[in-house]
Amino acid sequence: MPDPAFTQLVDSHYAALYRFALSLARNTADASDLVQQTFFIWSHKGGMLRDTSKARTWLFTTLYREFLRLRRHDARATSLEDLPADQDEIASEDIDRVRRLDASQVITALQSVPDTYRAPLTLFYLESLSYQEIAHTLDIPIGTVMSRLSRGKAQLRRLLAEPSTSADAKVVPFEPSSRTKSS
Amino acid sequence: MNNAEARFLLHACRPGGQDLADPALAPALEQMRRDPDLARWFERDQSFNAAVAQKLAALPPPPGLRDAILAGTRVSLTPSRGASRRSRPLWLASAAALLVLSAIAAWWSFAPIRGHTLDEFALNFVEHRFFLQKRTADVDELRHWLAARGGPLPRQLPPAFADLRALGCRTLDFKGHDVSLLCFERDGREFHIFVARREDLAPSTLRALAPTDRHGHTVAAWSDEQNHYVLVSDAPSETVQQLL
Repeated sequence: MPDPAFTQLVDSHYAALYRFALSLARNTADASDLVQQTFFIWSHKGGMLRDTSKARTWLFTTLYREFLRLRRHDARATSLEDLPADQDEIASEDIDRVRRLDASQVITALQSVPDTYRAPLTLFYLESLSYQEIAHTLDIPIGTVMSRLSRGKAQLRRLLAEPSTSADAKVVPFEPSSRTKSS
Repeated sequence: MNNAEARFLLHACRPGGQDLADPALAPALEQMRRDPDLARWFERDQSFNAAVAQKLAALPPPPGLRDAILAGTRVSLTPSRGASRRSRPLWLASAAALLVLSAIAAWWSFAPIRGHTLDEFALNFVEHRFFLQKRTADVDELRHWLAARGGPLPRQLPPAFADLRALGCRTLDFKGHDVSLLCFERDGREFHIFVARREDLAPSTLRALAPTDRHGHTVAAWSDEQNHYVLVSDAPSETVQQLL
């Protein structure tokens, strides 16, 4: 049996880690695998972490690094230069729209945000990590986190306003896993 | 600080209010208190953030994920047969740990996998999504990786296996005993060989099988003096027969 401390660690963090993984991997199976792998690595390496109060940041950092390591380079990676100018104004309809949507529709929109912005944005909305901790987790400067949050939110608002994310669209288009069983 | 600069910083404020006492954000918050337009923008930004955060928090993890994490880790921490870990040289333990950490491609989706006999278990295992812990086409490397973990090693495989390309391997647990899994590929077909020590398992769990079609897979099983082997493949039974 796993020791109680490990079980407590899993209970405290696995749901948030799964949500982060789902936004990155875009499908349930790969997200679950990322979370399991993260805890597997913890079971072998986590004991080396002297400051256990940093376990949460360590887990998010490890999951993100595993995601980067495993993902294939694809055309979905978007550079800053590819994106339109920031649109920082927030209409009341933007807020009402989110409140009307299902959680699955919101995560679908979040999954459509370009990679560059998706990771900091999801960590921000999970509310588990401060912007300093997000910077540490993703290994980027604090200013970059703020910039990506600003632009990422604008992207998300735009995606949530698209007809395919309307309240009538109940089908969640999770992508099937592209991995084979033995990948 | 102008409003654009303040907005840039205020974007980092989580909707739960956890960051409102952050000294680095204090100038932006002070600017917001002085400027009604900025205050209205911040209120809408926080409302939008809170709405998204609430939806995200409502998303449930898949049923069984928690149990899979705990079960998967329990299996991974099962001590190997033979010498205790403490008696191993430190360098060997370190090397094994490094191998584990550097070589794991992914952990597997560990739903309960049943089977009275090893062939039943093996088929169920393959039908579940699983991952290789060690990925390489180098069979010697696979052999060393399994040996370092006390996994059963095949004495020899049928000669035709030399024509297959190795994909990787992993260890797993069947009825409390170590089983090694080696995976090969040829022409887009996968061949998964499960290896168990005969002395570990009750004879009723080890049965010989000629290549047999089951649920879209071909299953075959045989023994030598030391081990019992189960082959599960998505290749037709004729192909497996030729291989054996």
